[in-house]
Amino acid sequence: MRYILQRVGQLLMVLLAVTAITFASVNVLGDPLTNILGPLASVDCTDVDAGLIEDTSTRGGTSQGDCSIIAETRAEFNLDDPLPQRYVAWLGNISTGDFGTSFQNQLPVSTVIKNKLPVTLRLVGMGLFLSIAISIPWALLSAYRANRAFDNASTVVSFGLLAVPNFAMGVILFYFFAVRWQIFPTRYDPSSVYSQVKSLVLPALTLALPLAATYQRLLRTDLITTLQEDFVHMARAKGMPNRTIMVRHALRPSMFSVLTVFGINTGALLGGTLVIEQIFSVPGMGGEIVKAIVRDDTPVVLGIVVIIVTGFVVVNLLVDLMYSILDPRVRRG
Amino acid sequence: MADDISTENTEVVLDEAELEIDDAVKKKLGVGFWIAITWLVLVVGLALLAPVLPIDGQNDVAAGGRLESPSMDHLFGTDGAGRDVFSRTIWGARVSLSVGFIAIASGLFVGGPLGIIAGFFRGKVDAVISFVFLSLLSFPSLVLALLIVNSLDRSLRIVALVLGILAIAPIGRLARANTIVFAEREFVQASRVIGAKNGRIMVRELLPNVLIPMSALALLGMAVAIVAEGGLAFLGLSVKEGATWGKMILEGADPRTLRTGTHVSMSPIMVLFFTVLALNYAGDRVRSYFDVRETAF
Repeated sequence: MRYILQRVGQLLMVLLAVTAITFASVNVLGDPLTNILGPLASVDCTDVDAGLIEDTSTRGGTSQGDCSIIAETRAEFNLDDPLPQRYVAWLGNISTGDFGTSFQNQLPVSTVIKNKLPVTLRLVGMGLFLSIAISIPWALLSAYRANRAFDNASTVVSFGLLAVPNFAMGVILFYFFAVRWQIFPTRYDPSSVYSQVKSLVLPALTLALPLAATYQRLLRTDLITTLQEDFVHMARAKGMPNRTIMVRHALRPSMFSVLTVFGINTGALLGGTLVIEQIFSVPGMGGEIVKAIVRDDTPVVLGIVVIIVTGFVVVNLLVDLMYSILDPRVRRG
Repeated sequence: MADDISTENTEVVLDEAELEIDDAVKKKLGVGFWIAITWLVLVVGLALLAPVLPIDGQNDVAAGGRLESPSMDHLFGTDGAGRDVFSRTIWGARVSLSVGFIAIASGLFVGGPLGIIAGFFRGKVDAVISFVFLSLLSFPSLVLALLIVNSLDRSLRIVALVLGILAIAPIGRLARANTIVFAEREFVQASRVIGAKNGRIMVRELLPNVLIPMSALALLGMAVAIVAEGGLAFLGLSVKEGATWGKMILEGADPRTLRTGTHVSMSPIMVLFFTVLALNYAGDRVRSYFDVRETAF
């Protein structure tokens, strides 16, 4: 229990640090005022504020009217407060589920996220499922006859898969399955549940293939080690069928490396879907954050980063807890 | 520190397996390694020599039409604007390879020393540095890159430096792990006994030992940085000026161009693939050649 609390505490710290960095970088590197008001924000109000100039709007120069809009906006979005104070206020709002309002279309950020998150989650979920569904049987087959023809061929294939960048994989799959053979649609088709799932197959496969190659490598190595253990010899001596030995006896104790990497990759996956969503025009968080970053829509950027990082941190915590279920020794920390 | 125990256990098991399987190939770099190096030398050489090679300029419209299939005149065909894809691939290599190189160099120069300091002093220093690494790793890397590149400018230097920041944490963690292993070894203690200062021990005793696994990771990391540039290109945020591999693949990736001029995207994809493959393979061989225990996530 103490171990779990310790992990949770550490992860909360990470969350704080990451959100603080994001908050600071979007506010320091881009000027939020410009993005709310457009060119109006660049009006120089120092003289007006100091009372040196009267209303000069008729002559097309700096006008007091413009400056009062600027002042109002600054007040509305609390832009005059010091950065740390704004960060704390923002954190307070976040913890009550209030992610603020998009600068762009005045929609609550939580609504934007609610619209886009399910698509991305479905894509990531399908990708993870495919990667596991491909890698486990693949690893079992290669480890069963290690260093034979099939295993050697798998080594070459998985090394090759790992060298294909995800966007290149996307383009290749897109070319063959959507453009040339037209098995899958070239654009995301939201018309029915079936067509949605069908539209997500290619992007999910793009995510899954390099992951499957990684997991296959790790699981294969661990399986080969496990297969030399006494309890496997014992099972074999009892006359257990090979299939049972592989699936029932050898698989579970061989899952450690895969689990660790699974955790790390899943977090990276949430970020990595950005590019793939662009290629297959999937209307998920990826497209949304790219739009928001380009338009300096700070609340949306922050909201999405919080969601992605929280997802990453939680997945890692779950992986750690999975360890203690798989290997009781870890619990005695 | 329960998680330390578990990772150590799995690592030991991994090593035993590796010993049995890779025993024969262990102490050789192998033919594959030299093929990989040859490819890399070729690509780097062509990239360096691009200005003096008899190839088209990167924006020259070649004789012939648009989207022409590969031929003797145009080895990789021409793109949608009638430019020679082969020439552009070489010009693109200049940007893509520089991004990879600068990124990893900055990752090494910042992450390496930080990792060694953390691993050498342990205690509070280590806690702080490790926390920084962990936070950096928790960040969706592409999002961080997007944030910075978008708010600054899309010059080669900024893009490369941003990818360099992303390289700090993995390189630093590897340096730290190796330093911890070596810090307790006899030659380090011997050096301390004869009165060497901390700085000297770190530079003269630890650095050379940590450098080898780091160089293996640098090869792998360079592949990652080159790929990351491509990812940025797909989000419209790669280096603004001139051709890059990522931008070339993007230009050929819309359904229409894919149908009529598949070579426009597939040629740079192939070159990128072989380069990443070569870097991965060379890095992998260097790592197992020097028998490094820590895996490089």
